[in-house]
Amino acid sequence: MTHNLTVLGIESSCDDTAAAVLRCSPPGGEIMSSVVFGQGALHAEFGGVVPEIAARAHAEKLDLAVEQALGEAGCGLSDIGLIAVTSGPGLIGGVMSGVMCARGLAAGRGLPLIGVNHLAGHALTPRLTDNAAYPYVMLLVSGGHCQFLLVQAADRFTRLGGTIDDAPGEAFDKVARILGLEQPGGPAVEKAARDGDPHRFRFPRPLLDRDNADMSFSGLKTAVLRQRDQLITDQGGLYPRDRQDICAGFQAAICDVLSHKTRLALDIATGIAGANPPLAVAGGVAANSAIRSALTKVSTGLMAPPQRLCTDNAAMIAWAGYEKHMAGHADPGDLVPRPRWPLDDQSAPLLGSGKKGAKA
Amino acid sequence: MPPEPLVLGFDTSAAHCAAALVQGAQVLSSRHIPLGRGQTEALIPMLEETLSEHQLSWSDLTAIGVGTGPGNFTGIRISVAAARGLALALGIPAIGVTTFAALAHPGDNAVLAAVQAGRGHVATQLFRPGQPPAPPAIHPLDQHPPVDDDVRISGDVAASLADILGRVILTPAHPLAEAIALIAAARRDHDGTRPTPLYLRPPNAARSTEPPVQILT
Repeated sequence: MTHNLTVLGIESSCDDTAAAVLRCSPPGGEIMSSVVFGQGALHAEFGGVVPEIAARAHAEKLDLAVEQALGEAGCGLSDIGLIAVTSGPGLIGGVMSGVMCARGLAAGRGLPLIGVNHLAGHALTPRLTDNAAYPYVMLLVSGGHCQFLLVQAADRFTRLGGTIDDAPGEAFDKVARILGLEQPGGPAVEKAARDGDPHRFRFPRPLLDRDNADMSFSGLKTAVLRQRDQLITDQGGLYPRDRQDICAGFQAAICDVLSHKTRLALDIATGIAGANPPLAVAGGVAANSAIRSALTKVSTGLMAPPQRLCTDNAAMIAWAGYEKHMAGHADPGDLVPRPRWPLDDQSAPLLGSGKKGAKA
Repeated sequence: MPPEPLVLGFDTSAAHCAAALVQGAQVLSSRHIPLGRGQTEALIPMLEETLSEHQLSWSDLTAIGVGTGPGNFTGIRISVAAARGLALALGIPAIGVTTFAALAHPGDNAVLAAVQAGRGHVATQLFRPGQPPAPPAIHPLDQHPPVDDDVRISGDVAASLADILGRVILTPAHPLAEAIALIAAARRDHDGTRPTPLYLRPPNAARSTEPPVQILT
């Protein structure tokens, strides 16, 4: 098996159509190109990602993203040795389009193809960006996910805790929406919070009394909505100051919950791994600088990939595919698109159950 | 004379997986399997079988023909995405062919091509020899506008629609994937436009109902 491999990664599990070329040679990889076509404008008027709109855009953009990624990398498909594609979890329409485009590319070129778990892409990113050694604790925090993982190998993830309802990214979007701020909500709320007073409004910090690493954010959303409605009742609307203070208070609550639960997750991980594993963070919400600095206080050696590798991208999928390939874990069954696909299938599901099984 | 173009056509726009290989106007091979689920796993192996039974490989192809619907949204995307990936890998064009055009092929009759559009609706397009086709439209099955006497009805709802309109059925000259491949093979002047699904319905999405917040000054 050759160790040097140029990998084409493809990602389309939510609202970003992405392709990347990664030149891998142990222990790391060089990102030759990473193309991300966002769909923000398509979904803006609906106040959230509309699955059918996303699926339509992916089906007509994937090959264009691949072409652009190859072009920017200055290479052709003849230079590619492996294709890695997100096959779940996520919005099934986009995942299916990505998998089929990848199947077409692989068949036409006789290339090996590997199905990658989107969450593994995020969770393994610190190995690409920081040469992280196993084990480490990953806080994966985005619009769709929030969980702590003990990453012990490319295929060994133990979930230490996670949200039992919404993800923080979803809460940021919702708060932006109810306050009349633009989407996506993360950057908008962060910007408004910068000039706000985090102590004027006291929002709940759910589940801090439990000594596990589970979290809840849906009550926080409701609390923000109630506060907004109270202000509107009292004054007939919101002053810019109110909006800044609500954002600051909301963001402070998120920071407190994440910090506190990260401490607990690190303790749990130490119990499992023996030594004190380092902390890493990934996912779109990891782009928030207040959250980053709160996490740095918890663990000074925090590994936080650059923003473009925290949000959805295909370089992380190429890397995760490479790691899986090198570990000999390629399984044709992993190419079957799966809307639900937990990284850790041993721990009890926090979200989703019944016939469809755990969500993520 | 250059060799006749070798075209592989395929379609997953409904509960099936269909493929056909043609050389110019000659059908070399055609298959159609009913399949409700698992099109993503079944399609590429089916295409590879179609090629290998003629001792052909992907690199022998001149073009790809792909069914763009209308039909099942997910199904159309499966084929269109695969066709675009194959075309990029092989450096050959992928040519989109609608179910309507496939039903009306070879076009020597006046045909109303009719495809189920869900919720009691039918999607139709009228073809007349020597004329550009009318724009496709969706109507409730029982409220379809009348058509001229010489028009025959083709497609998966042909029986009920022919009954309602008082017209006769026309059985398509070729199975779906064959017609797709034949049409693609005949389209020598293809301009390189990439295939796009024909949805005929907007995405099902509700505008945000959040009332705007009054910002005070």
